[in-house]
Amino acid sequence: MTRPVIISHEMDATWRYASGVAMERFANNLLERRIEAMQCGECKRRYLPPRPFCGNCRVPLTDWAPVASEGVLEAWTVVYLPIVDNRTGITRDGPYAMGLIRLDGADTTLNHYVAETDPACLKVGQRVKAVWREELRGAIDDILHFEVLE
Amino acid sequence: MTSASTPVAIAGWGQTGPLAEDLRSIPEMVLDAVQATLRNAAMGYEDIDAVVTASVDVFDGMTASNIAVTEVVGAVMKPETRIAADGLCAAIHAACQIRAGAYDTVLVVAHAKPSMSDFYELTKWALDPIFLQSLGIDFLTFAGLQAAAMAAEDKDAVERWAGLAACRLADASGDGKSPGSTEILQSALVTTPLREKMCAPLADGACACVLRRGDDSSPGRKEIRLSGLGHDLAANFIGDRELTESAGLERAAARAYADAGIKQPEDEIDVAEPSVAFAHEEELFVQSAGISDNTIISPHGGLFAGNVPIVAGLSRLTAAAEYLRRNNDLRAVAHGSWGPAGQGQAMVVLENAIP
Amino acid sequence: MRRAAIIGTGQTHHASKRDDVSQPELVREASARALLDAGIDAAAINAVVISSMELFEGRALPELWLGEAAYAAGKPCMKVATGGTSGTSACIAGYHQVASGMFDLVLVVGYEKHSEGNTQAGMAIVDPYWDRAVASGALGNFALSISQYMADTGVTEEQAARVAVKARRNAARNPYAHLQMADITVEKVLESRMLAHPIHMLDMCPQSDGACAIVIAAEKTANKFCDRPAWIEGAATRHQQPYIGDIERRLTTMETLRSAAKEVYAKAGISDPRRDLDVAEIYEPVTYAELAWYEALGFCGQGDAGRLIEEGVTEMDGELPVNPSGGVLSSNPVGASGVIRVAEAASQVLGRAGEHQVDGATTALATGYGVYAWADALVLRAMS
Repeated sequence: MTRPVIISHEMDATWRYASGVAMERFANNLLERRIEAMQCGECKRRYLPPRPFCGNCRVPLTDWAPVASEGVLEAWTVVYLPIVDNRTGITRDGPYAMGLIRLDGADTTLNHYVAETDPACLKVGQRVKAVWREELRGAIDDILHFEVLE
Repeated sequence: MTSASTPVAIAGWGQTGPLAEDLRSIPEMVLDAVQATLRNAAMGYEDIDAVVTASVDVFDGMTASNIAVTEVVGAVMKPETRIAADGLCAAIHAACQIRAGAYDTVLVVAHAKPSMSDFYELTKWALDPIFLQSLGIDFLTFAGLQAAAMAAEDKDAVERWAGLAACRLADASGDGKSPGSTEILQSALVTTPLREKMCAPLADGACACVLRRGDDSSPGRKEIRLSGLGHDLAANFIGDRELTESAGLERAAARAYADAGIKQPEDEIDVAEPSVAFAHEEELFVQSAGISDNTIISPHGGLFAGNVPIVAGLSRLTAAAEYLRRNNDLRAVAHGSWGPAGQGQAMVVLENAIP
Repeated sequence: MRRAAIIGTGQTHHASKRDDVSQPELVREASARALLDAGIDAAAINAVVISSMELFEGRALPELWLGEAAYAAGKPCMKVATGGTSGTSACIAGYHQVASGMFDLVLVVGYEKHSEGNTQAGMAIVDPYWDRAVASGALGNFALSISQYMADTGVTEEQAARVAVKARRNAARNPYAHLQMADITVEKVLESRMLAHPIHMLDMCPQSDGACAIVIAAEKTANKFCDRPAWIEGAATRHQQPYIGDIERRLTTMETLRSAAKEVYAKAGISDPRRDLDVAEIYEPVTYAELAWYEALGFCGQGDAGRLIEEGVTEMDGELPVNPSGGVLSSNPVGASGVIRVAEAASQVLGRAGEHQVDGATTALATGYGVYAWADALVLRAMS
């Protein structure tokens, strides 16, 4: 077989995403190290990330409720492969730990980084606490990661 | 391909936009359109059995972009099908689901926000990467090539299109004011021979409608039915297509007419809502869909009020339904188109009906 | 609903890189085989449904380019894209289009050519407000849910490894499969590189170049062209909330798949799926997911999936063979993976599955999985 001809195109696309009202307030709260969830008026479920609508009850969300920057590690993993941050193109090398964290006062869990990368030191049910960036930017990675409290 | 099948009615519709730039997020826009639709249909989310959405990942800048709207369209724990093509295809598929007896009531939703990006730049990624993409051309280039082909042996074409654009812009403005032909002919050249004001302005928006079984409505109640469905995908390579006509639209229209039992479209269509993104496409539409001078075309200016890609065809369906709701005994066609020089075509026939 | 059946299937040889063909040629390879298997001419096809995840190849509206390869030029054609469920949802869309009475014969084609794009980058173009900032990819997301599933059920790494062994050994009898490993063992799985705790390399699906097609026919046409059509007895779809943290213990609960399965079982008159199904082709991107799906699909009780795999119930010679083809764990061209599930289930019912045929299979289940917890389910059956 002859060698195939390979034609390359590099994709360089830019999109501007409007945050929406809910995420805008959430992001502004982060600038003051404050975390607020949205609460459904029907099922009372407190949602993080905030969004315009409770998909379960099919009603708009308008109410806010404060939640703590501490909570429970409901799930965890240590990832050994690198991951690219699609916003910046910067690669996060492995190993790094991820968790699903239920902040005190919230009903959904948040996916976020955990500082501990030794699997022997991570377990479901542990208490964790947010570690904030010094210069806040109003984005979810103003929380650098969560650290294990126990 | 006539199918003696369950009639499909359009029960309500709504939209948000078109706006040159909608500062809201996609889920916020879609929520607005869906709520307007449910109000219009006098229904709630609980009345909806299934959802068909239309969006394109590259345009939304999001993989599986319907994830962003699953909640607001009410698809949590429900069936949702996402069609990555013009929204009229989503409506055709929803009508198929109802005819099949799979669902009784289906919500159809389309959205796009071209203000998020350089839309035509993104359309380059829809061209084959081996030959066409390497040329650096986009969908605008194709519109220009098609218009140029049509104008080549038709000296008056460009002036005529300027007149058409003036007419549609006036209808779209609401107050009848629009630039005159001369101003249009002096507007910036976008792609020869098309000038800026001959191109429907890109806009952000979302549109939705509810389709439902038409055979269980109360007797004597007026309703609007989707009586003919047709879509088509033409050959991709433009060298394989005769650009001065739209064989794809001819096929899509023939299928929709056969489905609706229309034998002479020139006499049987009262209103047409074509997807005309560039003025020359209206002439292609009239010719390929077999429409005569007796048909009212784009009474509110069609896409010249704002061309929202992907939403366009669905918004034509709801515009046609709106017209029929205000009248009796009429038949309309709605048209959608996608791809370079209208490679994809869709046509739906709507009519006033009394069960 | 009007009856419709699958009367032919075709797929490509799946591999990490198919540089020998372009994307359209890949699509044509599967489409041509499906027509041949169904014994029909391309001209007989009335409409086409295409499935792919276009950002994986960096494409927009790819059906424009490769529709002709799927015999769609001059025909009605639309593309379905819903993440991992794209393929099964496209099959369901094709079924609905046939059952609508509009079309006699619909070709459904799914494909993906991961080697021509950057799948990790494509998959990372997720929710822009949150998930992009705290990304760990499909791998990390599965690993998170697996930690909960293990805590809930006590499933072990060894039990998950048995799923990998079953899949790749089955794949060794499927000429089209990407990863064929007749000599794989539980030890080899556990010794393979740790990707994201507790997922080893051999626990995870590959990325494949490949395509798969099925021909769906209306009742009369199906009986005309096929002695033993695979009738579609039921098809259901369920979508779920958008963020991973919205879904409580998603592998353990998997409400969408439970609900979809319940609907199709009811339509097909299946009361005990382990007894009433002869074979299942389920969408398992990772070993642990297959175990979780056993529970959601009612093959065993809640928390019993580890024992089910240990007892060999889902092996080729077991009571209910699951994924005789080798599954997604052995071949994973994403836009095709769901079509492959349906095609493999249909092949079993048609009696055309070759070396991985389950003897006398009459009733088959196919499922799709995508995003965080979206699910499709279909039941196919030969008329006795």
